[in-house]
Amino acid sequence: MTTILPPPPFDPELGAALTVFADMMPRSFDTETLAMMRSGTVMAVPTDDDLRRDGTFRIEERVVPGLGDDPDITLLICTPVSPTGTLGCVYHTHGGGMVIGDRRTGVVEMLDWAAQFNLVVVSVEYRLAPENPHPALIDDCYAGLLWTAGHADELGFEPGRMIVAGGSAGGGLAAALALRARDEGGPELLGQMLICPMLDDRNDTPSAHQMAGLGVWDRNANEFGWTALLGDQQGAPGVSPYAAPARAEDLSGLPATFIDVGSAETFRDEDVAYASRIWQAGGRAELHVWPGGFHGFDGIAPAAQVSRDAREARVRWLNRLFNG
Amino acid sequence: MKDLAVRLAALDADAGAALRVIAYFDGLTENKAGLQAIVRGAAVLAGCPARLDDVSRRVHVRVDPAGNAAPDPTPPNRSWMRTELVADGSATLCLERTGEPGPVEAMILERAAGAARAVLDRTRGRAPSTDPALVELIVDPSAPSDVRRQAAVTLKLGESTRYRAVARPTGPLLLDADAGAGSAVVALGRAGIGPAVAPAELPVSYAAARVALRFAADGTAEDPGPAVVRYEELGGLALLAEMPDSADVPDLRALEHAIAAGPWVLSTLHAFADAASLRGAATALRLHHSTFQDRIAQAEHLLGWPVRDPHGRLRLQLALAIRRLRRHPAS
Repeated sequence: MTTILPPPPFDPELGAALTVFADMMPRSFDTETLAMMRSGTVMAVPTDDDLRRDGTFRIEERVVPGLGDDPDITLLICTPVSPTGTLGCVYHTHGGGMVIGDRRTGVVEMLDWAAQFNLVVVSVEYRLAPENPHPALIDDCYAGLLWTAGHADELGFEPGRMIVAGGSAGGGLAAALALRARDEGGPELLGQMLICPMLDDRNDTPSAHQMAGLGVWDRNANEFGWTALLGDQQGAPGVSPYAAPARAEDLSGLPATFIDVGSAETFRDEDVAYASRIWQAGGRAELHVWPGGFHGFDGIAPAAQVSRDAREARVRWLNRLFNG
Repeated sequence: MKDLAVRLAALDADAGAALRVIAYFDGLTENKAGLQAIVRGAAVLAGCPARLDDVSRRVHVRVDPAGNAAPDPTPPNRSWMRTELVADGSATLCLERTGEPGPVEAMILERAAGAARAVLDRTRGRAPSTDPALVELIVDPSAPSDVRRQAAVTLKLGESTRYRAVARPTGPLLLDADAGAGSAVVALGRAGIGPAVAPAELPVSYAAARVALRFAADGTAEDPGPAVVRYEELGGLALLAEMPDSADVPDLRALEHAIAAGPWVLSTLHAFADAASLRGAATALRLHHSTFQDRIAQAEHLLGWPVRDPHGRLRLQLALAIRRLRRHPAS
């Protein structure tokens, strides 16, 4: 990096929300704040009742085998009780910087999509770093994907209508799943929904530098997440694309891709680059960069206009994907 | 924000909740958020529809608790929780909830109103009705339409009434199209009058009025002609105003050459071009018509073309019109 340019301003509503939430968010990430974050006071966890949505979804949890000798993993499965059309599936990998969160994190938006597009939501409980470094996380996610695709009949969905989706670290894992499924002849995916995905362990783009110390999940927090996953391999040559999808040399042959990201966040440049590289490889991708958005803005300030626009853009893409 | 609203509902009178309300609206002001963002903040935080109604500025914003813009043409209910944005009560911020506001609701109203006041003053102006700049604003095509609409309200222009914009060397005027404008304008000196339009169309009328102004004469010996010109009466002549002042017009050069021969030339040619007949022109100049005939013949010689046939007369009229345009260039 040569010159660090001034950061783009936050959207007015998002900036105001950030002011309010500033005192609820850790200023930096370390082992101590990690423990606090994991204790669950910051991220809201939906209850079974929340997930049932007045009986419109059936909730079950299945324990399924991990890869090889890996421990079993738990899948949260939410099935529409009265679908109005052919069922599809959204296989969800939750966010949380590779170090926090669980299978219920972020599932609420998946249920919004599921209700609208007749989807079974399957959300995987993967082991977290730093206790479990790479490849534990992606292996658990992939094991769950294989099981889900292999049980499409039992779960009641059409195998050709399956997508992977996730936000932040979950977006990185979803991208890694698509790469791995392509490489290993795994399940055929209809699409990948990558919401402000965490893709590049090198953590060295202009946006990463520009937003250092600002917004949500800045360069230091990102450093903490990647180091937890990769240890001293973070940023070194030879990191696997299944850990950091930006490392993949070949982005051809991927399913239809949706990527969104804020202009005022660490991941802006790596996410824009990922979309560009998919196009350059002859692929299908839709990219949205929301002006003044910090990382995960639509989750923290869902009522802000730009958040609503961002969520609507996802729904529109899903509509073209499933109903187009 | 939804999360914040849940916390606020649970904590109600808690001091922390009030502090967060303050922080949120201060943040909006600091980040220069617009009115809808402010009203949305009030609606989402209070968990009920919120609305801002500014009658004098014609600003109406209503947002439901989910954050959707939800316009409602009916006036606010007097029993809702409310706060006045201006002392005369013409602008209010309401939470659509009856009863006495609790501490958090009162805080939302106060902080949202403060933020909204700042936006209204910054973006919508607070010009008093006597401000002459309002007329300039309402005829200015580059002014945002809502600003012009507000100027129309302040000037008490009727939405269904038609007005003419008047261009003068000193600035714009407005005339009620039905109020027999003639005499009022005669006293003004040079003026161009635009077509009658609704208040929102006044920039169009004013643009036309400015074209007409260029055809208006000083009424002196050097610049004879009418001081007040209606654009609609110009017809195709108006197109001449689009010609650049630098354009070379041989007939104009010939006219200036002729005029230089003596002050009688211009008065003779103008009277001839303007009158219905030679005799009428002679009468206007209080000359015997044979004397006038002699002058015309001399002027024709100076000009270099006959003016007593229809085509030559049209050439003369055009040359005179162009001469006046050159004297009164577009500003």
